[in-house]
Amino acid sequence: MKLKEHWETLTWTWNPKSLRESSDSVVRNLMLHWFPAKVSRQSLSFRYSFWLGTITAVLFFILCITGFILMFLYVPSVERAYPSMKDIEFVASFGRFTRAVHRISAHLMVVAVFLHMMRAFLTAAYKNGLSANQKRPVNWIIGVVLLLLTLLLSFTGYLLPWDQLAYWAITVGTNIARAVPLIGEQIRFVLLGGNEIDQNTLLRFYVLHCFVLPGAVLLLFSWHMWRVRKDGGLACVDRLARDEKEKNSAPIKAKTYSLLGITSGHNVHVETSYIDEDEHLVESSPNLTRRLLLVILATLFLTSLLAYVVQAPLEQAANPLVTPNPAKAPWYFLWLQELVADTTIHLGSYTISGAFIGGVLVPGLLALLLAAWPYLDRSTVNATGVWFAKERQRQNMIFLAIVLLVILLTFVGTFMRGPSWHLYWPWQAWPETPTRF
Amino acid sequence: MKSTKLSRQKTEPGAENAKKTSSRRSFLRRLGLGALITGLAGQLFAFVRALVPNVLYEAPRSFKIGVPETFAQGMTYLQDHRLFIGRDQRGLYAISAVCTHLGCTVKMMNLNQSRKVQVAGKTVEITQEFHCPCHGSKYYGDGTNYAGPAPRPLDWYRLEVSPNDGQLLVNTSEVVHHDFRLNA
Repeated sequence: MKLKEHWETLTWTWNPKSLRESSDSVVRNLMLHWFPAKVSRQSLSFRYSFWLGTITAVLFFILCITGFILMFLYVPSVERAYPSMKDIEFVASFGRFTRAVHRISAHLMVVAVFLHMMRAFLTAAYKNGLSANQKRPVNWIIGVVLLLLTLLLSFTGYLLPWDQLAYWAITVGTNIARAVPLIGEQIRFVLLGGNEIDQNTLLRFYVLHCFVLPGAVLLLFSWHMWRVRKDGGLACVDRLARDEKEKNSAPIKAKTYSLLGITSGHNVHVETSYIDEDEHLVESSPNLTRRLLLVILATLFLTSLLAYVVQAPLEQAANPLVTPNPAKAPWYFLWLQELVADTTIHLGSYTISGAFIGGVLVPGLLALLLAAWPYLDRSTVNATGVWFAKERQRQNMIFLAIVLLVILLTFVGTFMRGPSWHLYWPWQAWPETPTRF
Repeated sequence: MKSTKLSRQKTEPGAENAKKTSSRRSFLRRLGLGALITGLAGQLFAFVRALVPNVLYEAPRSFKIGVPETFAQGMTYLQDHRLFIGRDQRGLYAISAVCTHLGCTVKMMNLNQSRKVQVAGKTVEITQEFHCPCHGSKYYGDGTNYAGPAPRPLDWYRLEVSPNDGQLLVNTSEVVHHDFRLNA
């Protein structure tokens, strides 16, 4: 009996028999307490959000768990990093599988975060709706920072195997940091812990990768989720509220579980929405929890399957003396590598390096523009939470054009650049080039 | 109720006294806040400063590469130092193999036949070129960039003969002009 009670504090009922039992599990359970007791059917819909944020979070937790395991097996020293990678690959039981899951989850997380951002943009999920106290633009900016942190996590993780790919990707990356005007040289010095990529650099990237950046992601992720709750759920709920408002002139008398609305001095009717609860809301347990578990299962299944199919590569040990030809950054940075290779400008005798234009200016401006977009978007509240809203057609087109350009540049960098960064068709064979001379 | 009581106090004879207390209180509040901010800023500075290394255990910026006689006419690549040592009629010179774009190691391409190119208004005869594998920058044999994203020519370093043992001494912290030659 006692054991059963303990078990019940850790779990929740799969099949609640009453409304009370359902909301009770949300209140009682640590893992569920951040869900609302009831949630709208629209925000559970796969077709609206594709559950991309949830998938991203699941991937992040998979990365944390596999990362912890790998931390026990990996030694962050110049002498032993590469040999310990070999041990993970060929000696440790399931070491290769663990590393493959970690790597494939990292790649998928970059994809998922990017798609999640696209979804939020195309549905104008960064716009406030009719409810009071919404700060969706703030949550969008948190999301943009999370996107950048995800890329930084990938970048710092890249150096750790200490193979050729790692070494030269970091050489290119930190030299881009050097192209920052005025303080570039100092940034690079602190990032590398010296003038060369060496022990200091490896340790710095290791600590950033394993502690600083994941910690920042966890913090911002919590904030992100908290804001979603404070903003009244996904943006599609606001569309629902708008439609309902047109139908019923007076707000529906809502059941007041929004005590916060009273304490902060607002009218309860403002806080609770125009939505007819009985018609549109369902209990979070089991409707949300069941879908959540399904998404977790699907993501786990996908990463495990892909990890078996796609093995994580390990190139030759890092050699500061020999640059591989071609030397490519990871695929999600290849659009940047393509940019730094194409954007050196000569104005008479004056030259602006592509490292600055393609590596600092363009991505910096893109990130700023992305973060500031909610404040530039002049569309009405009617566009909130609507896929491809008519009045946002033009900005959606511009956004998609930029996304397409990034994908195109990534494609060219990945499949069409051969030795010495020459252009080749994807099906064209590369000429034999000596790797040493 | 309370607020009316307080406001009445201010108009009473003891009002001056009350004013004094409040100014002392605000002073102490500011003092406390200031101390907290100063303390945090000082600690933050100390933590960040600790991350800037004071001693580097890196390879020396100047090093010896052997006696001048070992370098024949033409270009020799020293892989360990990412350095080209060239010799022509006028003497020896050293060109860095580090691409000025993003730091990859350039590769030397020997031309089948020498060709004449214009560099800064002068005609120069070159027998090799340097190509960067990372982003396709191209340099003439004298280090002048002519294609690709490289923003400036490859660095030329000062060469000296060490007075102690007659070996060539490269100083990579001193960049010299393309006319530099060491007669040795």
